[in-house]
Amino acid sequence: MNILVCFTVIPELEMMLGEDWFVDENLQIDVGFLKHSLNCYDESALEIALKFSDAARKRHVSPNLTALTIAGPEANPILKTLNALRFNRVVRINNHEDIRFNSMAIASMLHQYVSNRMPQDVLLMGWQSGVGENAKTPLLVAEMLGWPCITQVTEIEPVDSHHLVVTCQVDDGQLQQTIQIPCVLSIGNAPNSYMRIPTLKDRMQFGRRTAEVLDANDFEPFDEGIELVSLDVINRQRSAILIEGATPEEKAGKLYKSFLAKRLNKL
Amino acid sequence: MIFKVVLIGCSADIVAQAEELNGFISENLGRGDHGCGTILFCSKKQDKNALLDLVPTESVKLVTVAGYRPETILEALKIVENMEETHLYLFPGGYAGSELAVRWAFRAKGSSLVQVNQIEYTENQLIAKKKVYSDYVMGVFRLKKKPYCIAPARGSASSLPVRVKQPLTVTEHDMTHLYRDRFVESYKWTPGEKTGNLEKAKFILIGGRGMNNAESAEKLKKIANSLGAAFGVSRPAAMNAWSTMDKIVGVSGAVTKPDVCIVAGASGAAAFYVGIEKSKFIVAINKDPRAPIIKSSDVAIIDDYKAVMDELVKLISAQK
Repeated sequence: MNILVCFTVIPELEMMLGEDWFVDENLQIDVGFLKHSLNCYDESALEIALKFSDAARKRHVSPNLTALTIAGPEANPILKTLNALRFNRVVRINNHEDIRFNSMAIASMLHQYVSNRMPQDVLLMGWQSGVGENAKTPLLVAEMLGWPCITQVTEIEPVDSHHLVVTCQVDDGQLQQTIQIPCVLSIGNAPNSYMRIPTLKDRMQFGRRTAEVLDANDFEPFDEGIELVSLDVINRQRSAILIEGATPEEKAGKLYKSFLAKRLNKL
Repeated sequence: MIFKVVLIGCSADIVAQAEELNGFISENLGRGDHGCGTILFCSKKQDKNALLDLVPTESVKLVTVAGYRPETILEALKIVENMEETHLYLFPGGYAGSELAVRWAFRAKGSSLVQVNQIEYTENQLIAKKKVYSDYVMGVFRLKKKPYCIAPARGSASSLPVRVKQPLTVTEHDMTHLYRDRFVESYKWTPGEKTGNLEKAKFILIGGRGMNNAESAEKLKKIANSLGAAFGVSRPAAMNAWSTMDKIVGVSGAVTKPDVCIVAGASGAAAFYVGIEKSKFIVAINKDPRAPIIKSSDVAIIDDYKAVMDELVKLISAQK
């Protein structure tokens, strides 16, 4: 069973201070000085794939795991970690275009990779990334491949080499389905899915393998039909009245007396 | 301009879908110059009259399907809809609606945008606003390909019950023979508590990463119960399994609008803040004076939330 996990590396935006948020004339925001890390839903997708692989081996099914990102060299440290975690193949499609809000371009590259270069049975990826927040890529890849897609997936378990049990959240509860592959799985809020840390031994032995680097220019472009017009930083400041006091109890007393008592009585 | 509303009647949250879309239409489109209709999907067993009471337009295509399966809904849409005459489709803002909006736009060769906060229709384009950059920035987008398929962000418009009952023009379509999800061999649905309690609560207490462990989260939940507040958590707290996923507040969980919201030990990243920004009054308790939640609160205490909450419980209980 060939499993492709698609992931994005994003800047840690919560480290940006108020004055750092500046939109230039090309509708870009400088985030180059920030540390980059895995998009949280993609991190869950990678860990879910590793857990699945562990469980599948116990059932004598050996999945072949590929991790793929469309990014510049800022993704390289993560690629080393994924090699150390023993993904069979780690791929970076080198990209310099602005694809922040172009899910069609991203989905099209993934579609072409699976159709023309490395056939897969299951695609896993987070439901959205922290920068574009498009929430469209897994759905569009599924449409392009003509595969079914399950969204808000939280867990997958192996059955045999052609079937999976997939647990997902739906608007009115939780669904557990036994499905046939191929399929696209879009990962949502999956508990306990922070990515594991490779051992030092595996880091030394496998982390130095080179990732495969492809060029985005070798893939056919795809028009999204959507154009970015402007970006405006959202101001969320409120009055932020600071309650002072010598002890937590004193502060709580002031909070209750001056601000909460009347409001809570009205509820 | 002709727009259509798509409602998934076979989902348990149909009332919330209808009221949110009705509010979104009222705040963004109005009904004056537009031709509009609803496509309402339901199953055989449902009370159709009760569902029709939720329709926000004067005409409706009532489509009966075997049950909610995205493939079935998309296939049925293709049969009952003349997509060339419709300029805009509005889908519900939940998981299901967002999925259908994107996939329908692809099949109809249109353009889609989900988690949309606001739209404006002009002659040959749709301008839509949605939050990007982990909700720190508002992006304005121009959609160029019709039909435009939009799923609003949850909480982006006020929930507006359909109050005026118009005479409805109903066309019925039986699509129960469609069943395209053959890749599913078996399934089991378990109803969830979901986020409804949080979204309707007037008083909310939310714990963040500062809770540090499941025991502290459990204690804060008990405090919330004793105060009559609904309990929520930030995503990192739920990801650490300190609380269940249905308690998440923020862009991937509940979008609340309480009168009073106390945030204990959460830094206030924008993706979380989206879930509380409609609160009338926000209290932040955090040890870190640089935490973004401090500036985004009405009142803040820089201290350990545990000692502050213990004292607050005493004060509030004494007044009951």
